[in-house]
Amino acid sequence: MAKGILGEAGLHFDELNKLRVLDPEVSQQTVELKDECKAFVDKIAEFKKNVSNFIELVDQQAKAAENEKIKAIGARNLLKSITKQREAQQQQLQALIAEKMTQLERYRVEYETLCKTEVDQNEFIDQFIFQK
Amino acid sequence: MRLKTSLLKEPKHKELVSCVGWTTADELYSCSEDHQIIKWNLLTCEATQVAKLPDDIYPIDLHWFPKSVGGKRQTQAENFVLTSSDGKFHLISKSGRVEKSVEAHCGAVLAGRWNYDGTALVTVGEDGQIKIWSKSGMLRSTLAQQGTPIYSVAWGPDSEKILYTSGKQLIIKPLQANAKILQWKAHDGIILKVDWNSVNDLILSAGEDCKYKVWDSYGRLLYSSQSHEYPITSVAWALDGELFAVGSFHTLRLCDKTGWSYALEKPNTGSLFNIAWSIDGTQIAGACGNGHVIFAHVVEQRWVWKNYEITLTKRRTMEVRNVLNDAVDLLEFRDRVIKASLNYEHLVVSTSLQCYIFSTKNWNTPLIFDLKEGTVSLILQAERHFLLVDGGGIYLYSYEGRLISSPKFPGMRTDILNAQTISLSNDTLAVRDKSDEKVIYLFETSSGKPLGDGKPLSHKTEILEIALDQKGLTNERKIVFIDKNRDLYITSVKRFGKEQKIIKIGTMVHTLAWNDTCNILGGVQDERFTVWYYPNAVYVDKELLPKTLFEKDASEFSKNPQIVSFVGSQITIRRADGSLIHMNISPYPAILHEYVSSSKWEDAIRLCRFVKDQTLWACLAAMAVASKDMDTAEIAYASIGEIDKVKYIGSIKDLPSKESKLAHILLFSGNIQDAEMLLLQAGLIYQAIQVNINLYNWERALELAMKHKTHVDTVLAYRQKFLDDFGKKETNQRFLQNAEGLEVNWDKIKAKIELEIAKERERAAATPAVRASITIQH
Repeated sequence: MAKGILGEAGLHFDELNKLRVLDPEVSQQTVELKDECKAFVDKIAEFKKNVSNFIELVDQQAKAAENEKIKAIGARNLLKSITKQREAQQQQLQALIAEKMTQLERYRVEYETLCKTEVDQNEFIDQFIFQK
Repeated sequence: MRLKTSLLKEPKHKELVSCVGWTTADELYSCSEDHQIIKWNLLTCEATQVAKLPDDIYPIDLHWFPKSVGGKRQTQAENFVLTSSDGKFHLISKSGRVEKSVEAHCGAVLAGRWNYDGTALVTVGEDGQIKIWSKSGMLRSTLAQQGTPIYSVAWGPDSEKILYTSGKQLIIKPLQANAKILQWKAHDGIILKVDWNSVNDLILSAGEDCKYKVWDSYGRLLYSSQSHEYPITSVAWALDGELFAVGSFHTLRLCDKTGWSYALEKPNTGSLFNIAWSIDGTQIAGACGNGHVIFAHVVEQRWVWKNYEITLTKRRTMEVRNVLNDAVDLLEFRDRVIKASLNYEHLVVSTSLQCYIFSTKNWNTPLIFDLKEGTVSLILQAERHFLLVDGGGIYLYSYEGRLISSPKFPGMRTDILNAQTISLSNDTLAVRDKSDEKVIYLFETSSGKPLGDGKPLSHKTEILEIALDQKGLTNERKIVFIDKNRDLYITSVKRFGKEQKIIKIGTMVHTLAWNDTCNILGGVQDERFTVWYYPNAVYVDKELLPKTLFEKDASEFSKNPQIVSFVGSQITIRRADGSLIHMNISPYPAILHEYVSSSKWEDAIRLCRFVKDQTLWACLAAMAVASKDMDTAEIAYASIGEIDKVKYIGSIKDLPSKESKLAHILLFSGNIQDAEMLLLQAGLIYQAIQVNINLYNWERALELAMKHKTHVDTVLAYRQKFLDDFGKKETNQRFLQNAEGLEVNWDKIKAKIELEIAKERERAAATPAVRASITIQH
């Protein structure tokens, strides 16, 4: 009865018979709520940490991917230019070969005339020997 | 021949190099768009920055002030002209100080060139103007103006003409205001570069149609290259005009003056914007598009004589190969080899400081003497001595290294002499003058003094090429020359008193050479290869000359062949494409020459009988008449079927006196005046008159008769007979006058003639010793 009266006055007793202003039930729920909230905040923090880790990781991957991509493009360009370079080199070598060919042709002509001279001279020697 | 190129690993300039220029044989200046002027010393292999130009000066062209000014030679060039893209040209000293900057053109100044004596500078620009400036940079005149930029300009050999580009056209403009301009379309693309050589008077042009071409100064095309992959950006003549260099993208080419290419190099240079030859003509430098300066020197030149083959393997080393036994000798020199010549059993080599003389018998101990001046531009050999030409003069040395003489004539310019315009024999030196190309100066080699009365030999048109014969007596020295119309003439070098005839012996002659062992002349005439076995025949019996020739179709030589050498019976000709052609001519004419020169007429006749060749007989006939050996001449003429001449020779032999025989031999060769003079000197007046009568030279006959007051009636009688035979009337005033009151009495005349002949016979009998020896008298 007293309890009821006190309750109306806003006073309560807990199990340990201590005088309380708040209803023990409410108080207990509050405490529980507080605990739950704390746990929630912790979890959120952990989540945030995880997410940031993840983002970092992805960023790194993206960077690596970008690098590789540029490398690939570079390699492709190099390949293209090498064909061009080779072409130029080939052209240069062709020019050098053409030059050597003309020189060869000159030597061939000279050789032919020398052969002709040899034939002439042999003929002359023969003629000379037979006539003597 | 080949180019040995050298390129630094890293370019010294940061931007493209636009121009290069040599100061000495071992020092080069280069200018680049990074505003630096760098000096390259090739002896120490150093490159130092001389100056840094202001940031707004982008150099385009540089040209050093010429070294020889008005005959006085400076040891080194002191300043140069640099043209730049801001429309100015700058005179810059050797130390790099800008002495003067002159506002010259609107837009870039594309080229600037000093003339040969350094009295004028020409600049051309993007605004299409050509301006002439004084030595100090004062504007003299604006020579021409056109709507398109002028990319390149060059002075003519005499500094009186200018060659410049106008789009695809080349234009030669004389400095005189109203002189005729020569203009022709030269390329299918824009012409980028031209050069004009002062020694051979040939023009080089290069253009965006990827070709380079060689022209003569009349604008005739001598050579056109094949199309290259890239535009030709530079061309440059070597000073002596024997070689030129061509530059293009990654390309450097060395070419002969006739256009064909000796060697091709593909260095990693980018485009070669400018090429410069060093003064001694052994090195070139190129301004490269990638900031490099490329150096190249010419190696592997070859000299061949008989069984020796000499190659310049390195700059200072020669390899001598004796083809007969494959023996190889190495010749080492202290300095760079500049010029060499191998002939007449001697090798003469000039380096930058010394001259070496080797005998082919002994390669180990050359004779060495110091040269006064480094750059020998020409070595010419004869059997007994040789000749060096440098910027200062002409020097004759014996093979023992002794200076014999140094001929000079007023206004002599030695820097433009080449093998075509100077000729040497054992006793005579001939030089064609540059200031008057119709004139040939002749010198005695032993004294260096002008020959005879000192008057030079002059011809009616410009002379292109001269050559002296090498053998025989000094009195019979002959010179042949080709004139502007490509006609070949022969004349005697000795000219005492009376004018020697200049006789034409060939037309359209491209090239010629005398044989080294006897006076046989070889040449290429139009489409035929011709050998004049005995050119002297024109002085003996002109009609005989065609019979003394050896001719052969020369179409295999293509156009413009050049005779390289004529040694023994072997003639070497270089075709326009550069290939050498060796040909053998018959050895008999040479043997015949030898017999005749030692008066072995019996042997000569036997040789001709053995060979059974009409040409050889014709040569012998001419030689015999020239030596006045009428017996041999009679046999030779009989062998070639010239019966009329045999008869005449027979009649000469019957003549009573030595004098009339000689006179008739002279008559036989067509020397009427000489014959007459000889007879008159001998007092044989009647015979002289009779000669003129026989030639229907009535006036002269009468003149002689009147002068000596004898045989006037004889002349008149013959004249009357001549007129009667042809049914004509006397119209000559002098004969009419003399005929008055003179009765022609044939009996009397005949008696008189008989008397004269008897008198001559008597005279001859009085001096029988002389009569017996009417043979050779040199």
